[in-house]
Amino acid sequence: MDLNFTPEELAFRTNIRAWVAENLPKDISHKVQNALRLSKGDLQRWAKILGKKGWHAWAWPKQFGGPGWNVIERHLFEEECALADAPRVVPFGPVMVAPVIMAFGSPEQQKRHLPGIMSGEVWWSQGYSEPGSGSDLASVKTRAERKGDYYIVNGQKTWTTLGQYGDWIFCLVRTSTEGKPQTGISFLLIDMTSPGVTVRPIITMDGEHEVNEVWFDNVEVPVDNLVGEENKGWTYAKYLLAHERTNIADVNRAKRELERLKRIAKAEGVYEDQRLRDEIAKLEVDVISLEMMVLRVLSAESSGEQSLDVAGLLKIRGSEVQQRYSELMMLAAGPYSIPFIHDAMEAGWQGDCVGAAHVAPLASTYFNMRKTTIYGGSNEVQRNIVSQVVLGS
Amino acid sequence: MDFNFSDDQDMLRDSVRKWVDKRYGFERRKTLVKAGGFSRDAWREIAGLGLTGLYVPEAHGGMGFGPVDAMVVMEELGRGLVLEPFTQGALIAGGVLAGDAPEAVQSAWLPKIASGDAVIVLAQQERAARYRLNHVVTAAKQSGTDWTITGEKSIVPAGDKADAFIVPARVFGAVDDAQGIALFLVERNANGVNTRGYSTQDGGQAAEVTFNNASATLIADAGKGFAAIERAVDIGIAATCAEAVGVMDKLVAVTIEYMNTRKQFGVAIATFQALRHRIADVKMQLELGRSMSYFASLKLNEPEDQRRRALAQAKFQLGTSMRYVGQQCIQLHGGIGVTDEYIAGHYFKRLTVLEMSYGDSMHHLGEVSARMQDTAGVFA
Repeated sequence: MDLNFTPEELAFRTNIRAWVAENLPKDISHKVQNALRLSKGDLQRWAKILGKKGWHAWAWPKQFGGPGWNVIERHLFEEECALADAPRVVPFGPVMVAPVIMAFGSPEQQKRHLPGIMSGEVWWSQGYSEPGSGSDLASVKTRAERKGDYYIVNGQKTWTTLGQYGDWIFCLVRTSTEGKPQTGISFLLIDMTSPGVTVRPIITMDGEHEVNEVWFDNVEVPVDNLVGEENKGWTYAKYLLAHERTNIADVNRAKRELERLKRIAKAEGVYEDQRLRDEIAKLEVDVISLEMMVLRVLSAESSGEQSLDVAGLLKIRGSEVQQRYSELMMLAAGPYSIPFIHDAMEAGWQGDCVGAAHVAPLASTYFNMRKTTIYGGSNEVQRNIVSQVVLGS
Repeated sequence: MDFNFSDDQDMLRDSVRKWVDKRYGFERRKTLVKAGGFSRDAWREIAGLGLTGLYVPEAHGGMGFGPVDAMVVMEELGRGLVLEPFTQGALIAGGVLAGDAPEAVQSAWLPKIASGDAVIVLAQQERAARYRLNHVVTAAKQSGTDWTITGEKSIVPAGDKADAFIVPARVFGAVDDAQGIALFLVERNANGVNTRGYSTQDGGQAAEVTFNNASATLIADAGKGFAAIERAVDIGIAATCAEAVGVMDKLVAVTIEYMNTRKQFGVAIATFQALRHRIADVKMQLELGRSMSYFASLKLNEPEDQRRRALAQAKFQLGTSMRYVGQQCIQLHGGIGVTDEYIAGHYFKRLTVLEMSYGDSMHHLGEVSARMQDTAGVFA
C-alpha cells in the first residue's frame, strides 16, 4: 500500500501541467476561476485545443485515436485540468456515447462519429430523460417505428444539458412494447438538424439556460444510425452508466472549489469566524475522504479488479460535497448573496457590483447545484442500488 | 498509488483473524470481562503470534513492521472486540521506545515487549487536561543522574496490571508549557506507585495511577518529550482508526444478516426502503472511515506538521463514522440491539470508547480547523 504516485506518474503529471498551462486560454480559465458564464464558444474552443492534441477524448484507447492512458493517468489528466481552472469537458460525446459506439457500434459508425468527437467539432447531446420518467429511465416512451430504411421517431426528451448547441443526440427510444419495459428499448443516434427536431429552452431557477426539451415530430432516422441490435438499448445504456464512475464524483473540481471557498471566506472577513471555519474544516475532511475513496476505486481498477463495492457511493458523496461547497460560499458572502445581477456573471462586465465582484455568482451556483443530487439517477435511487449490493437482497 | 495489501499483509491478517475466531469468541470474551478485562494469557497468545513485537526492531527481537501492517492487525483485533490494550502495549510502547528511548532502555525493554513478558502502557491523561497533551502537572525531579516523579495519571489502560508506564512529566515551566515536558519510564512495582483499577464502559480495564517520588528512567528529555508524546498519540490515533474500521465492519455485517432474517409484517425487514436507505448511509460512513483509516496509517511516517494534520482529519472522520454506524446499527436491530446478551451493543460500546480515545470528534474538528491550509486534498 502506497499513497504516493510513482516517479513515472509524477513525470506524466508534470507534462500535463506544463501543457495545460501553455494551452488553456487565460480568458477561459479566468471565467472558470470566478464562476463566470461560459459560452458555447469558450467550451468548444477548449474542446478543439484538446482535440488537436488528441486529448479531448482522454479516456479512449489508442485503436480509436485516444492516448491509451491507464486509469491513473486519466485521473491525473482530469485533476490537472481541474486545478488549472479548465472548463469541464462536455461529457456527452467523448465520455458517454463514444464508449458505446466503440463497444457496440458498427465499423462504419465508428469511422463516421469518433473523429468528430475527438476533434471537438461535433457537439453531442444526451437523450435519455423524458417528461415523467425521472430516475425511472426504462419508462421511455419516445417511439421509433421502422419504415423501410428509416425509423420514424416521435416523442419528447427533456433535461437535455446544453442541447441548444447539439449537432447530434444519442437517444433511448422504444421499438417494442412487449415484455418488460427494459426489453423494448433501442439506442439511436439522431442528427439534430433533421426536420422535425425542435429544441426548447428550460430556464432553471438560477435564471440560466442550461437544459432543454427536445421534441421529435415524425423525424426520419436512417436505420444505419441504430447502435447494435434493436431492443438491446438498455444493455448499452447500462454499459454507459457503468463506464462513468469515478468521474462523476468530480473530486478534482471539489478540491479547487474548496480552495476558492477559503479565498472567498478570507475576502469576506469570515475565515476566522469559528462557526464558519469549522464548517469549512468539516468540508475539508469530506473532500479528502472522498478523494481517498476515489483513489481506492482507481487502484482497484488499475489492478484489474472489476469493481469495488464503494463505486456506487461516489455519486452520492460527490454530489453532496458539490452542494455543500456552493452552499458555504454563499453563506460566506452573507447578505451580499441576496442581490441578483444577471449580467455580473459575464466576463468583462463593466456595471456596478453590489459588494465584491466575487459574490455575484454565489447564490446562482448554489441554486444550480441542487441538480447534482437529482441527475444521473437521484441519490435516493443510488441508495437503492447501494443497498442492493450491501444487503445482497 | 496503490491500495492493495501485500501477500505478507494478507497472511498477517489471516493469522490474526484465525486466532480471533478460534480463541476470542464472544463467550470467552464474556469470561475475560468478568475476570477484569485484561488477561495475561490472552496477551501471551497475541505475543505468540509475534504481534506485540510489530513495532519492535528486529535487532531487539521484534518484527520491525510499519503502520500498514499495524493497521491490518488492528482491524482484525477490532473485529474480535479484543480487550487487551494492544494499541498501547505493543504499538505505542514499541514505537515510542524504539523511536525515542536511549539504547540502554531499548535493550532492557523492547525484547520483553516483543516476547510478551512486559506490558508497558502510556500514563498520559491528567484530570484537567481533557485532550490537551501539553497540560502536564505531574512533576519530575532530578538528583544526580536519578529521576523521581510525583503526580497523578488517569484512565491508564490496564493500569493496575501493566509492568511499566510511559509517563510525561514536567521538568520545568508552567502547566501548559510543552517545552518543559520530558518522558519517563516508571515500573509499576517501584516504590511510590499506587494504582486503583476499575472497568471501562467497553469491558476493558483501566486505572488511576499515582506517583509519589517514584523512581523513573528518562526516555526523552525536556524539549523532546512533547514531540514524543504527540507521536505516541498519533500512533494511537492511527491504530484506533483501524480498530474502529474492524469493529464497524463486523457490526455492519451482523446488522445486514439481521435485516435479511428478521421478519416484521410478514417480510424480512431488509425489504423496507427506509431501512435500505439507512444501511446505504451506514455503508457510506463505513467506507469513508475505512478510506481515512488508510490515510491515517499512510501518513503516520510523514513529517510532523503533515502527520498531525492528517491524523486529526482521519480521527474526525472516524469519530463521525463510528457514532453514525454505531447508533444506526443499534436502531436497525430494534429492541434486541439494546440488550447485554446480544453482541451489537458490545460493538456499540467499543465504538463509543474509541471515539473518545486520543481526542474525540469535537477536539479533532478543532485541530483540523486550526491546521487548515489554503490548499486542499490528499496531497496538499
